[in-house]
Amino acid sequence: MLDAYSLLRAMNGIREEDIVMADKHFDSPKHVRSRTKRMVTLALAAALILALGAGAWALFFSMDHRVPEPEESFRIHWEESPSGYIEWKNVGLAVTFPETEESRAVEFRPGWLPEEMASLQDDAWASRLTAERLCFEGGADFVPAYDDMTQPMLIESFAMSQFNQGGALLLLDYTAGAVTEETWVDRNVDVLYFSASIHFDANPEHDLPERTLVQNYVLLSNPEAGWVVRIGGELDLETLLEVARNLEIRETGEILRYEDFTDHFALFNAGAG
Amino acid sequence: MEDAAIVELYWQRDQQAIAETDKKYGAYCQHIAYAVCSDRLDAEECVNDTWLRAWGAMPDKRPTVLATFLGKITRNLAINRFQRKTRKKRGGGETELALEELEDCIPAALDVERRYELQEFRQAIGRFVSGLSETEQKVFVARYWYLCPVEEIARRLQISSSKTKSMLFRLRNRLRLYLKEEDLW
Repeated sequence: MLDAYSLLRAMNGIREEDIVMADKHFDSPKHVRSRTKRMVTLALAAALILALGAGAWALFFSMDHRVPEPEESFRIHWEESPSGYIEWKNVGLAVTFPETEESRAVEFRPGWLPEEMASLQDDAWASRLTAERLCFEGGADFVPAYDDMTQPMLIESFAMSQFNQGGALLLLDYTAGAVTEETWVDRNVDVLYFSASIHFDANPEHDLPERTLVQNYVLLSNPEAGWVVRIGGELDLETLLEVARNLEIRETGEILRYEDFTDHFALFNAGAG
Repeated sequence: MEDAAIVELYWQRDQQAIAETDKKYGAYCQHIAYAVCSDRLDAEECVNDTWLRAWGAMPDKRPTVLATFLGKITRNLAINRFQRKTRKKRGGGETELALEELEDCIPAALDVERRYELQEFRQAIGRFVSGLSETEQKVFVARYWYLCPVEEIARRLQISSSKTKSMLFRLRNRLRLYLKEEDLW
C-alpha cells in the first residue's frame, strides 16, 4: 500500500529542469550567483508590477462570480429543519474565492459615512455594522430619507476559508446586473460590485402596486490575508462605494479555517429579505 | 569544474571524480540530507553513501544535470534512513510535517510492489509540477523536494507565510484531483 514516504520519494519524478528552476541557495559560488540573480529578477518583477499598476494586479483577481443553473441547489446547515439543512435553488449569483487554508479575521470601522448616518459613527471596531435602526419611525436615529427601506446598509466580514471545497457567497431571489471588477492597489484589495433587483407584480388583494426592489453590493477581498468584507444594502451604489473606499480594516489576530465553520455558503442579501 | 568534465572522470574511473563532486556538491547534498534527517551525522553518512552510489551509477549513466542526479540519490537515502529511525515513533521536523501534509494526496489503491505503477506515479507527479506556474513550481518543489520550511520558502520568494500555506494547500488539492484524472487514484 502506498504511504506518505512513497509519495515523498515519488517527488523524485519531478523533472530536472523544474528542480533546477526552483533551486535553493547554498553556500557555494554557483548558488551565490543564483541568489544574486534571483534577487535582481525579483526586484525587476516588483518594478514591473508597480509600473503596470492595476493592470498587473488584475491578473490575480481573487473573486469569481457566476449565475448558477436554476436547478442547482445549495445547502446550509439548519438544526431546526427535519433534514438538518435548508436548501436553495434559483440562486441569482454565486461568488467564489481561492482555496485558502487560513484566513486572518478582521474587524472594521467606517472612516466616512453619509451625513444622515452620523449616529452610527464612533470609534468602535466591529465585524458587523447595520444601519437598520435608521429606518424605524419613532426611534431616536430615524432618518426620513430611509423610511421606504428595510436595510440601508449592512457591513459584514467573511473568511475565504469558509468557502473552500465548493462553498460560495450567494445572492438569493434578486437578479444581479452587470458586475464590475476592480483592484484598489493602494488599499491592496480586489473589489467586486453590482446592483441587484427583484420585480413584484401588483398585488391588489394586499393593495400593493407593481414594484422593483433594488439592493447594491460591494465586496472587498484580500487574497493574501484571506478575508472578505461585504458592504451592501438599499443605499445607492455610489454611496456604498464611498463607504468602502474609506473603510478602515484591521486584523484581529484570530485565524479561521474551514473546519471552524458549520456552513460553507453564506448569503448576500443584506438583511432586507 | 563543469558537470560534463566531472561525469567524464567517473566514466574514466578516475577517483578524482569523487573529490570534485564533493567540492562542488558536498554542501548541496548535505543540505538536502539534513533537511530530511535533521541530524548532522546521519546527513554526512547519506552524502558519503551518495558518492558511492554515484560511482556505481556512472558509467552507465551520463546525467546532464549532475546536481539533481546527486540530489535525488541523497534524498532517497535520507528518506530511507529517516523512515528506519522513526519507524517506532513519529517525532517532528519538516519531514514529518511534509509527510502529514501529503497524506491526503495518497490514493489508497496503489500497490507499491508493482513497479510500473510507482513509475507511472512518479511520472505523473513530474507532469503535474511541469504544468504549474513558475511561482507554484518553486513553492511546491521547495516544500516537497527540498523539504524547506514554509517560513523559509516565504522569505526566499518574498511572499507571506500565510500565502505560502494557502498556495501549498491549493496545490495539494490540485495534485489529488490530477492523480484522480490520471486514474492513479
